[in-house]
Amino acid sequence: MTPSDRRQFLAQATGALAAFAIHPDLAARPSLAGRDEPLPVALIGAGRQGRAILSELQKLDGVSVVAVCDVLAGRLRSGLRRAQGARGYDDHEKLLAELGDAVDSVIVATPTHLHRKVVTDALEAGKNVYCEAPLAHTVEDARAIAAAARASGRVFATGLQGRSNPVYQLARSFYRSGSVRDLASMRAQDFKKQSWRTPASNPADEAALNWRLDPALSLGLPGELGTQQFDVFHYYRGEYPVSVRGRGGVFVHRDGREVADTASVELTFADGTSLFWEASLGNSYQGRYELLSGSMAAIKLAWSHAWMFKEADAPTQGWEVYANRQTFHNDEGITLIADATQLASQGKLKEGVGLPHSSLYYALEDFLAAAGAGGTPACGAAEGLRATVVGILAQQAVTSGGELAIDPEAFEIG
Amino acid sequence: MATRFELVLDGEDEGRLRAVGEAALEAIEECELTISPFLPGSLLSRVNARAAEEWVAVDADTFTLLETARQVRRESLGAFDVTVAPVMAALGFRGDAGGDLATARRAVGGDALLLDPECSAVRFARPGLGLDVGGIGKGHALELAREVLVEHGITRALLHGGTSSVLALGAPAGADAWRVALGPEAEAPLALLRDAALSVSVTDGRTAALGDGSPVSGHVVDPQSGRALADGIAAAVIDTDARRADARSTALCVTDAGVRSAPQPLLAAARAERAAGTLCWDRVEGPADGPNRFELRSHSPQTLASTA
Repeated sequence: MTPSDRRQFLAQATGALAAFAIHPDLAARPSLAGRDEPLPVALIGAGRQGRAILSELQKLDGVSVVAVCDVLAGRLRSGLRRAQGARGYDDHEKLLAELGDAVDSVIVATPTHLHRKVVTDALEAGKNVYCEAPLAHTVEDARAIAAAARASGRVFATGLQGRSNPVYQLARSFYRSGSVRDLASMRAQDFKKQSWRTPASNPADEAALNWRLDPALSLGLPGELGTQQFDVFHYYRGEYPVSVRGRGGVFVHRDGREVADTASVELTFADGTSLFWEASLGNSYQGRYELLSGSMAAIKLAWSHAWMFKEADAPTQGWEVYANRQTFHNDEGITLIADATQLASQGKLKEGVGLPHSSLYYALEDFLAAAGAGGTPACGAAEGLRATVVGILAQQAVTSGGELAIDPEAFEIG
Repeated sequence: MATRFELVLDGEDEGRLRAVGEAALEAIEECELTISPFLPGSLLSRVNARAAEEWVAVDADTFTLLETARQVRRESLGAFDVTVAPVMAALGFRGDAGGDLATARRAVGGDALLLDPECSAVRFARPGLGLDVGGIGKGHALELAREVLVEHGITRALLHGGTSSVLALGAPAGADAWRVALGPEAEAPLALLRDAALSVSVTDGRTAALGDGSPVSGHVVDPQSGRALADGIAAAVIDTDARRADARSTALCVTDAGVRSAPQPLLAAARAERAAGTLCWDRVEGPADGPNRFELRSHSPQTLASTA
């Protein structure tokens, strides 16, 4: 064995050891592949998120999109182009009535304030339901959805993607096993340069399409974007914040809007630690990430990627000697790679630096596998309700510019 | 694609134009996620991994892309072929060089690409086949963006991907056409575009390496020989459809057999070879007037051959 061969062998062996020790690999995740008949699915809401969902569904095995529903004809047409053979509907009640048992599961991607009616109708019709996050624009609606999900006995998933994302699951196992040690700081951001305005081909649809800019309906940046990221910290810590402080304003898109285009939120936990979160539609630098920093390491999560930045006095773990690393200015991050076992055995650890699919793909796969087998999805109604409550209160804090206590009773389904 | 797209939208309401432009760019980003050969999770990667064993369903837009590719392959007598993926990989243009080049060359052949319009599905008639839509992808993305713009009533716009694929909607206010130079050289002709697409393919500009480390220059491959074309060839096409313009300009780099006599004629074509460091556009064809044509600069040495 040459020195080069030996290094390669050791890299494979140590990579495999680390992966076997604590992490399930990608291939071991539940899926619908191998079903005799594909699981029939309907999508309700074919806007931006709905179309992204359809794009991911066509890459999943064992699924058939049998119907697409949207009240706007242009969006429906666009959705149907991504779902060959599916039937189109402009009314979800008609879809549920006509298709009956021909649909097993329903994916809801309508505007947030319309979730309650669609979700509860689908559950009443006996369907398994995946609902995009946040669950609703009011605590009352979110509770109603969670209660209906619990009462239905059907599989219900909230689209909080961190919980089903393989690289987030992997990084969480490091966090939970003490790699970060004493948590000192939590930060997150979602920066993108975008107007958040949706163009309408028909002026009469302008208001309905731009619900995110309607202060009466919108949960703003904290609710619509932040809820996903807040839940990553809920998931990692296994607890929820006790108070929230916020501020924000319209600093870039001065087009008469009232919903802040830039916002910051501080979520404080019972032990006094805080998550500082910022979002802006005026700048895209560093995009979207979450960061947990502790006395031994920091873990940075960026949806398709994750890294661990170790302190100089952190103990060395054998696997990391040969791990892939990336340099960020003065810091070197150890790349956390899902499916390391298989990649290491193939000598392809470097190729697996990022996830092959989007986070949305894994969330849908997780739900559909649970629906197909009657199992439990990674994120159910209870987690969805709690994250939604935090998102709603964060938006209220930004709007008021003040601090709000988070009553744990608000997390209860009732 | 992995390239920069830019849009110029001409109109009155800046806020609305920005929103429409963002929607068009979203369509382009979605297209990238669908057809990129670099993303293991793309739909194209799924097709390449599965289609030799089973029919793989694709969305209607991707099916249109593959149908257009097949049409241009037929009319160009094989000079354009999206089944060139194994050769592109073996030559090192899709990451580290992989696979035996001779085997890869034998695998190419669009006759083995089967398309089922009823089910919007794709299948390979033999193993070893692979799709690489690099020669048509930017045009496809521009067509998807055009749909968004047209749906929202935009009538004057210029879009480009990587400066080599251009799509014009209408013309700038007060002008007959958008004017696009084919290169930085003073002698490069101008393309005049109104509701038309321009594509320029150039054989040089990129290098890669074979598995043994030997360099490969020129990223346009002749599908029939499986060899990368030598540096210094350029072809430009004006067409009504950006996908077809892309594919035809790639084919014209290889040979002009077939493309010029295609059932659906292109609007104008030009071909250049480098001499003394400068691209000399020695064949420029198309109408002498009208909104969609090539216009020679006053000091250009070429003569314009009218097809009228």
